[in-house]
Amino acid sequence: MLSQPMTSVTRQLSRRSVFEALLHRSPISRADLAKVTGLSKQTTSEVIDAFDQQGLVRPVGRTSGNVGRTAVLYELSPEGGHVLGIDLGARLTVALADIAGRVLAEADEATDSRGGAWALDQIARLAGRLARDNHTHPSRIHSIVLATPGVVNPKSGAIEMAPNITGLGNLNVVGLLGEKLGSPVAIENDINLALLGEIWHGCAQNVANVAFLALGTGVGLGLYVNGQLVRGVNGAAGEIGYLPIGGDPLQAESRLQGCLEYQVGAHGIVRRYREAGGSDVDSARQVFERAQAGDARAMGVIEETARLTGLAAATVVATVDPQLVVLGGSVGARPDFADQVARVLSRIATRPVEIRASTLGKRAGVVGALSVALNKLHDELFGVADLAAALPLPPPRAQ
Amino acid sequence: MSTTLETGHCFAADLGGTKLAAAMADARGEIVAELTEPTDRRGGAFVAEQIAVCADKLAQSVGIDATQVRHVMVGVPGAIDPLTGRISLTPNVVGLEGFDVLGYLRGRFGADVLIENDVNLAMLGEQALGCASHCRNAAFLALGTGAGLGLLIDGSLFRGARGSAGEIADLPIGRDPTWQIGSATGAFELEVGSLAIVDRYRRQGGGGAAVTVRDIFTLLEEGDEVAAVVLDVTARWVALAIATLQSLLDLELIVLGGSIGVRPELYERVRRALPALFSRPVAIEPSRLGDRAGLIGAVCAAAQALRQNRAPAQHALHLS
Repeated sequence: MLSQPMTSVTRQLSRRSVFEALLHRSPISRADLAKVTGLSKQTTSEVIDAFDQQGLVRPVGRTSGNVGRTAVLYELSPEGGHVLGIDLGARLTVALADIAGRVLAEADEATDSRGGAWALDQIARLAGRLARDNHTHPSRIHSIVLATPGVVNPKSGAIEMAPNITGLGNLNVVGLLGEKLGSPVAIENDINLALLGEIWHGCAQNVANVAFLALGTGVGLGLYVNGQLVRGVNGAAGEIGYLPIGGDPLQAESRLQGCLEYQVGAHGIVRRYREAGGSDVDSARQVFERAQAGDARAMGVIEETARLTGLAAATVVATVDPQLVVLGGSVGARPDFADQVARVLSRIATRPVEIRASTLGKRAGVVGALSVALNKLHDELFGVADLAAALPLPPPRAQ
Repeated sequence: MSTTLETGHCFAADLGGTKLAAAMADARGEIVAELTEPTDRRGGAFVAEQIAVCADKLAQSVGIDATQVRHVMVGVPGAIDPLTGRISLTPNVVGLEGFDVLGYLRGRFGADVLIENDVNLAMLGEQALGCASHCRNAAFLALGTGAGLGLLIDGSLFRGARGSAGEIADLPIGRDPTWQIGSATGAFELEVGSLAIVDRYRRQGGGGAAVTVRDIFTLLEEGDEVAAVVLDVTARWVALAIATLQSLLDLELIVLGGSIGVRPELYERVRRALPALFSRPVAIEPSRLGDRAGLIGAVCAAAQALRQNRAPAQHALHLS
C-alpha cells in the first residue's frame, strides 16, 4: 500500500503525538509507539528517525522479550533542550531541567539584599554555574520562567506590588534578564507558579479546582479553576492581603499593608507575640518554636493566626468552591499549622473542603516555573495551530 | 400563529421564594408569552408541577402544542451538584433539597431540560442583554431575601467544584463566624439579608411601621433618618463583600441586582463606601434587567441550546 504523502499539519500532529508518547511512556519501542499513537509503523519510524537526527531521542537498550527479535527502546534525550526555572524571593532558587522534565540541578542562596540589578546579576551567575556544572551550553537553554512576588502587569510586563524585593519596579526585568541569559524570559507571579508546582509534582496532582493560600512574609492566593489559572483583569486576582479580615479595614495599617496581611504576615505574627508580652523574637519561626515548647502566649498567637487564615479560606470556599485548598509559604506549609486551619474551617464552613499542607514547601515556586518553561518549550517545538492546549507534562519520577 | 413552528420553541422559568416567572420564546430567543405567579408554598413536587403547568398555559396562549417545546431552562435558588443534579442550599423554597427536580421535569416535558442556579442565569442575562455585554470576567451580586453571586470567568459561567461557587450567604463578613458556631444563616446574610435589614431598623429605634425592606425605602424617601443610617450600614457590608471579591478575582464589573441590590438608594451608598475600603477602582453597576435578569438569562440559555440543536452537557465545566 502506498502511504499518503504527509501534509505539513498531519506531519506536525504525528510528531506531536510521538513526542507526547515518548514524554509519558519512555523507554518505548517503535512498535509500541505506533500502537500508542495509532500511527502507522512507517510514519512512526520516519518521525523517530527525524527526532534522532535532531538529537531529540536516544536509544536506551532493548526489549527483553522471551521470543523473537528484541527491539530498540527509545527515550527523550537530555540533549533535546533544557529549561530554567527561577524563584526570586527572599531566597533565590534556580533549577535546570531537560526536555523530559527531569530536574538536573538546583541551587539556592539568599537573594542579594541590594535587589534590582544586583539580583538579576546574581540570577545570571547562578544559572551560569548550574549550566557549567552540567556541561550544558547556555544556548541549549530554550525556555526560562521567573517566579516573583507581586503582580505581573499583563499589559506592560512590569512587576508591580513587590515591596519585599527592592528596585524591581523600575527595571525592565524581562529585557535585561533575557539579555543576560541569552533566551527569552517569561515572568509569572510566584504564588501562581507555586500552585502549578503543587499540581505538577506536589499535593494537588489531578485536581481541577485548587486554591493555594500562601502565608509567609506576605499573604497571597493562587486560583486554578477548570484547569486554568485565574489572573484577573489587571493581573491582581489573589491579592488577599487586603481582605477585610482580622481588623478594621479603615485603620491606617490596614490601608497601608492590607488588613489581613497586617495580622497574619510573618511581621504580624512577631508583632502580635510582642504585644501579648512575649519575650524578644525576630521571626515567625521562633514564635512557632516557642508555641511548640509550650509558651502559652506563642500558642495563643498561632491559634489566632490559624483562626484568621481559616476565615480567609472560608471566603475562598464561599466564593469559588474549590475541591482542595493547599496551604503554602514558610508559615502555611507547616503541617501542624495546616491542621489547625482545617479545624477552624470545619467549624465554620457549611461545605466541607479538604485542606493540605504544601508538599513541595519552598521548592513549589521553582518547580512551577519549570513546568511552565517546559510547556513553552514543548509548544515551541510541537505546537499546532488551533490546538491551544499544552502537552500534558509527565508525572514526577525518581531521578 | 408563529412563523417559527419548524424550529420549535423554548421554555424558561425563574423560580424564586415568593414568585415564579416563566416565558415561552421562539428559536431566536424572542419572548412570545410570559407570566408570573406566586410560588406554590407547599414546595418540592408541587413547585416542579407548577413549572410544568406554566409551560402548558403559555403554550396554549400562543397556540402551540406543548410538544413543540424543545428546550427547557429552569433557574432555581440553590446550588446544583454537577454530578448528581441535586439541589442544595435552598432555604427559600421548601422541599427542593430532597426532590429530583430535574428528573421530574425531564419526565414531564418531552424536551431537553436543564436546571441552573438563578443568579448564574441573571449573570448570563446581563451578559447577553444587560450591562455586562463587553465582559468576560464579571459577577452578578444578588441581594434580596438572601445573598447570592453569579460568576463569569473567562467568558463562561463558573460553578465551582461542587456547583456551589458564589454561595456567599456564609462569607465571613459581618458577625465573626468563629464566635457564632451553629448559626443556620450565613454571617454575610445575617448583615444584608432582608430580615437583617428590617431587624436593624427596629434595633436602631426606627419609628414608623417598617415591616419590609420596601417600607424602609419608602421611609427613606420621606426623610426618615434611621432608615438612612440602616442603609448606610447595609451598604458598608455590601462594599466589604465587593472588596473581598475584587481581592480574590480582580473582575471587570460587578453588577448589583436582586430586589434590594438594584435600588439606586443602596447602589449609590455602596459606590460611595467603596474607595475607603479598596485601594483600586472597582466598576459596579446596577442591574439593567432588574427582576427579569434571571428569566432573560434562562431564555437566552435555552434559545442558545435550541439554536445549537443540542443541550450543552448540563454541568460540563470543561466544555463550552
